[in-house]
Amino acid sequence: MDWLKRFQIYQECVEFLNHEADLLDQHRYAEWEELLTEDIVYQVPIRLTREKEAETEFSSVAFHMNEDRGSIKLRVKRSQTDFNFAEDPKTRTRHFVTNFRLDAYDGQTEEAHVRTNLLLFRQQFDEMEQLLVSAERRDVLRKVNGQWKLAKRVVYFDHTTIPLPNLAIFF
Amino acid sequence: MQQTTEGQLSPRLRSMLEEMQKSLREEAAIPLAIFNDEELHQAEMEIIFAKQWIFVGHESEIPNKGDYVLRHIGNDPFVLVRTEDGDIKVLFDACPHRGARICRAEKGNSSHFRCIYHGWTFKNDGELVGAPGYNNGYSGMDKKDWGLIPAPRVENFHGFIFASLAQEGPTLREALGGMAWYLEMIFTMQKCGMEVLGEPQHWIINANWKQASENFSGDDYHLLYLHKSTYDVGVMPVPLMENMMGYHVKPGMGHGLSFSIDIESNDPIYWFFPPEIVETFDGLKEMTPEQQRLARGARVVVGTIFPNTSFLLLPLSPDPGNVPPTPLFTWRVWRPLSPGKLEVINWFFMYKNTPAEFKAQSFRAGVSTFGAAGHFEMDDAVPWVEIARNAASVFGKKNLKLNYKMGFNGIGVSKPVKDWPFPGEAWYPRYEEGNQRYFYQHYLNIMLGGQ
Repeated sequence: MDWLKRFQIYQECVEFLNHEADLLDQHRYAEWEELLTEDIVYQVPIRLTREKEAETEFSSVAFHMNEDRGSIKLRVKRSQTDFNFAEDPKTRTRHFVTNFRLDAYDGQTEEAHVRTNLLLFRQQFDEMEQLLVSAERRDVLRKVNGQWKLAKRVVYFDHTTIPLPNLAIFF
Repeated sequence: MQQTTEGQLSPRLRSMLEEMQKSLREEAAIPLAIFNDEELHQAEMEIIFAKQWIFVGHESEIPNKGDYVLRHIGNDPFVLVRTEDGDIKVLFDACPHRGARICRAEKGNSSHFRCIYHGWTFKNDGELVGAPGYNNGYSGMDKKDWGLIPAPRVENFHGFIFASLAQEGPTLREALGGMAWYLEMIFTMQKCGMEVLGEPQHWIINANWKQASENFSGDDYHLLYLHKSTYDVGVMPVPLMENMMGYHVKPGMGHGLSFSIDIESNDPIYWFFPPEIVETFDGLKEMTPEQQRLARGARVVVGTIFPNTSFLLLPLSPDPGNVPPTPLFTWRVWRPLSPGKLEVINWFFMYKNTPAEFKAQSFRAGVSTFGAAGHFEMDDAVPWVEIARNAASVFGKKNLKLNYKMGFNGIGVSKPVKDWPFPGEAWYPRYEEGNQRYFYQHYLNIMLGGQ
């Protein structure tokens, strides 16, 4: 792929992911859901410290979150009820999305494989402690009718014990 | 003979707990202060967590020789390991030489453990086998005295491994009391028993462990409000008021159970396992007729095993519009990190002899409803955190005695069930907080030294 085309894809992906993070920080979940493909796979695998020879610390079978479009729709719906107490009051979040890496682009399927680092600030109500979580996200972005959408996301936390009381937000 | 001061209460604590005993018995009131008190926490670590039977792990987490996981009894680190002989051991994660750790992963496999400080090397059953320059350094020392220290008592209850750090005391079965009967019914529906689904989740809630234990011991009342969203979006299939029409059971030894069952109609329910799965429940015919009857009519069961293990068996769906509900079994330990902080370690289990597809569905149903991203679980943490914060306040400690009056002295409609055919004492319907009061009475018995 010539570098100009590559640059264009890269730039579009960066803009998409920045816009996506914006929507999440503003809790605009219904609009965020529209950025997902119908066949979205959204996973947060469990991580445990392994011996140093281990290939990976991440489980291939166990998850904190293992979502498809239907289950995400349900989460968005629950967030819109008056009884979503984990987010009442809404937490103040800021997704710091950095280190954009375009690992691959398939011109046939119009799919881009992108990795980003995530540092997420989260604080609620009058608490003085702020929570910070760190993760790598491996995404597949797919152009559908000229629009970029998120087709797959796997969130690889840098934590084994998650220092959050809940995962009531999206990463 | 010198009296040990281990676990002895200070005058302040003794007075606080005796006062709590009095207000619990006379007014069904519990002081807010117990949910965030440093000195009390320390005493609990010594009197409860260093003596009681504490859940450590499941045998299916360490299936192969050399498999190990790092776990905690209270906050004391232990390695749960499958030895080369196929036995299960629970070994203190401290080298007897200088006390550094010998375990270098939360999960792994090794025939040996080696301390990185001076290289003391142990077989995975704890036996000291060598160290660098051993003959020069240690000729004349008996190796046998210097292995890794095992937890004094370990018992395997149908694959569920508990350990006690007390040299003596009731056996696990004695400590479980009537709860053993109920657990056995659940665990042995298939003769081959249950297995773990993947690795457990770990996450932190800034709350006191007792709030979590009491909630699972018999707090159905909070579904009416805190979990209302689950009914509104269809995750909770049973209307919430109807859900209150169930049984609270006190099976002995401070444990608590809450059941939704239909034992009148004789319809086969079995927690809504599909009929083809119920057909594989070859353990049923070996159960007592009462266990068979209870399993047959069971819809939902939730419970707490004193002090800090809770579980829940019921059918739910990750996406009610599109996915039918699947029975899930969540089992968790509330690790008491500090007076205002706990770690949840949450496992999901399923019967071994079920199709992989069914296990995957059960697991997914579990993860979506219970767990750090669970529709039910996420809201539970909210009030618990608030309680810990208020319990730290000077004013709160002095003035707030909490109301545990539901079902006490005729308050509310709940009544004891006459001729409850199963172990323990039952109340119906679930408009009562007797299970929580029972938990705290047992807690007091132990803390004040009567147990």
